[in-house]
Amino acid sequence: MEADYRTEAWIQWCPGCGNYGILLALRKAVSELKIPPEKLVIVSGIGCSSRIVYYIRGNNVHTIHGRAIPVASGIKLANPELEVVVVGGDGDLLSIGAGHFLALGRRNLDVAVILSDNSVYGLTKGQAGPTLPYSVKTKALPYPNIHERIDPVDIAIAAGYTFVARAYAYHVEKTKDLVKEAIVHRGSSFVQVIQPCPTYNDKMTPKSIESKISYEPQEGKIFLGVIYKIERETFEERIEKITPGYLKNPPSKRS
Amino acid sequence: MEIDIIIGGPQGAGIESAGQIALKAFASHGYEVFGSREYHSNIIGAHSYYHIKVSERKKRCLSLPVDALLALDAESLFTHFMNLKDNGILIYDSESEKTLEDLKSMDKHLKERLLKFFESNGLEVKSSSVVHFLKNKGIEVVALPVKSLLKEVLEKVQTTSIAKVVNVLGVTALLQTLGLEKDSIKEAIEKQFGEKARFNLIAFEVASDYIKNAKDKLPKKKSKRLLLSGNEIVAMGKIAGGLNFESFYPITPATDEALFIESRKLELKEPIVTLQCEDEISAICMAIGASLAGARVATSTSGPGFSLMNEALSMAIQMEVPIVVTLWMRAGPSTGIATRTGQQDILFSVFSGHGDAQKIVLCSGDHVEAYHDAIKAMNWAEKFQIPVIHLLDKHLASSITTIDDNELREVKIERWKECKDKRNYRRYEITEDGISPFLRIGEAVMVNSSLEHDEFGFVSEDPEVREKMMLKRKRKFETIEKEIAEEEKFVRHGDGDLVLLSAGSTKNAILSAMEILRRDGINAEFLQLRLLSPFPKIKDLLEGRDVICIESNSMAQLKMLLKANTGFDAKTIQKLNARPFYDVEIALAVKKILDGHESVVVSFGS
Repeated sequence: MEADYRTEAWIQWCPGCGNYGILLALRKAVSELKIPPEKLVIVSGIGCSSRIVYYIRGNNVHTIHGRAIPVASGIKLANPELEVVVVGGDGDLLSIGAGHFLALGRRNLDVAVILSDNSVYGLTKGQAGPTLPYSVKTKALPYPNIHERIDPVDIAIAAGYTFVARAYAYHVEKTKDLVKEAIVHRGSSFVQVIQPCPTYNDKMTPKSIESKISYEPQEGKIFLGVIYKIERETFEERIEKITPGYLKNPPSKRS
Repeated sequence: MEIDIIIGGPQGAGIESAGQIALKAFASHGYEVFGSREYHSNIIGAHSYYHIKVSERKKRCLSLPVDALLALDAESLFTHFMNLKDNGILIYDSESEKTLEDLKSMDKHLKERLLKFFESNGLEVKSSSVVHFLKNKGIEVVALPVKSLLKEVLEKVQTTSIAKVVNVLGVTALLQTLGLEKDSIKEAIEKQFGEKARFNLIAFEVASDYIKNAKDKLPKKKSKRLLLSGNEIVAMGKIAGGLNFESFYPITPATDEALFIESRKLELKEPIVTLQCEDEISAICMAIGASLAGARVATSTSGPGFSLMNEALSMAIQMEVPIVVTLWMRAGPSTGIATRTGQQDILFSVFSGHGDAQKIVLCSGDHVEAYHDAIKAMNWAEKFQIPVIHLLDKHLASSITTIDDNELREVKIERWKECKDKRNYRRYEITEDGISPFLRIGEAVMVNSSLEHDEFGFVSEDPEVREKMMLKRKRKFETIEKEIAEEEKFVRHGDGDLVLLSAGSTKNAILSAMEILRRDGINAEFLQLRLLSPFPKIKDLLEGRDVICIESNSMAQLKMLLKANTGFDAKTIQKLNARPFYDVEIALAVKKILDGHESVVVSFGS
């Protein structure tokens, strides 16, 4: 049951934050997949969404800004039996941590990455994130954004992620289904979850997002669903090839 | 008996192989050897050289001037002719007459210094006049007609390209002139090149026939021992100590250590995961993740990479994660001289990481200590759930020495205090000794947090929780201070009123310098620091005595650390030219300090 994964911690997000949807979707996903909390590992960096590690029962790790992916990779490599999920914001995963985001795709290590994409740095009060489009002026910015935006899905596919999907945080059931698929997928998987930030992003509001999204491919609309999926040898399998005995006797198993 | 040798030539021409052949030949003859490679950050063409000491008992340091110089090109002749003893031997390529202008790769500053020397001595600026100058000093000169000998080799093997055997021609001539048995030389060449030795063995025959035998053969002693570099011995220590995960990013002079583990993977009983990461931040973070899951981990780097690791190092301290960072110091600041040595990261390692980030810093003086320290570092990291920085340097990394099997015995593996009760697990349980029982990720439900947290790992900014956790981490460090034995913190060598204080790869040069000083009636005690953090309690030992810090950096970092921890002021002997310390220069500098100097900068080395 979803409730089995709840913790006692007070959830510190603002009312209306898209993170609530992502949290609920993730709890439901792991509960439906029957992943016991002892085998579940949520790893996050720094930012509003990264607090999620305190709100789901698991073996969770709250790391530092941008570094959730390498810490998660070390855990998975040491113990391939664990179910490892990274959750982070667009600043965390695609700005300061962008190098690691690419490296994970190149490896196709069996880790799922969930991007809470609200295009702003919430905890530091609304600076422009890497997915904020050029010339948009959210309310905390003194002048319109002078950077171009990057597209997380394009980057994930180019980097080599073997499962890539897009979801919307307010659509909890559909987001849950995509997160489930990402977790079950063998290899590096990625779900971009578009998420309103009611406090700092006054331009990408639920209303404006909902007018642009579609679960059917449609000209001029942002497609939600599985965008790309292939099967490729995982990194764990490649390590086994050059380190015979690794999968049977991984580093975490030694006394 | 001691023989000091320099073998010089252009990078890419097998200088390292020539040096290793010499080491192997002397070692199989029963001698102790220590050899160090000095090289530029370059792949082909720049000058590099191998500096060797051969001795009857273990010395593991270098001396200048040397007894023999093998100059495989003119640049080596010009660079090192002043390093030769007056009764030394020069072996050089007699068919290559060069002026300084011909030497395109030679540093212009060295050229300027040499031009001044030639002018003031009224010498013509060419290789033959260098040879003349040395002959006049009484140095024995062996002319090696390299081109003609190559031609001879060419006729025998009937191929067109054999430029790569010049090193073998040279080193054969050198070793035979010094009195080694032909068989030992041949065996060393076979060992060096394995199946690819064919052309090299022909070159060996040609050079051996050309060189007349030495009047006095070196006596041969039977013995079998290991010949290992600092990089290799640390890798072996890690393997013996149960390492099973090492992440790294390529950097001089650390990479060869991780590559040694990689190259031995298939021979190991237990698989070891080694992983080249996208950068050093990833390397340390992967190690942290793997450690939380129960792996026995290390990462390996040098100064620039360690700079990148600092934020994550602080995370490991706050999250109480056992990790070992093997830090091979090289000459900075910044990229500095990437392939040369120094001890400029002493303070950086002790004070690394932001926010009261206390960690263990362990410093090895030579190969054997480095082996045992590699194991100890992993033990301490896990036992105390804390990062351990194993501080080493380029001089140790690339120098090779003879090691006896029995120096590598006594391997003891220790791990964490495990938690018995897996339900309701408190990752950061408050305990008297500051150490919380450990469970691997995957064995319970827990949170590991880089944020300030309560006993369960949940984020908390409560002032009482904060203070308790600060005190817990403090108590843990006090436990570390208590539990590490005195003899693991510092070692006292020799005796005398005067104290020479140092740490790291200076050890054997200082011990050798003390022998020189003793012959001149000067007695000193060498206080070798093994632990830099926590800093050993040595205050009482220093009361009323003169202290000289010997170190390779300009800030006098050991002196600062000593002052901060004991209040004692020291005089200093410092080296700034990115070359290792030589015993002779230390002895000379100690005398200068006794004559009243406050600090002496020593400058030997090419």
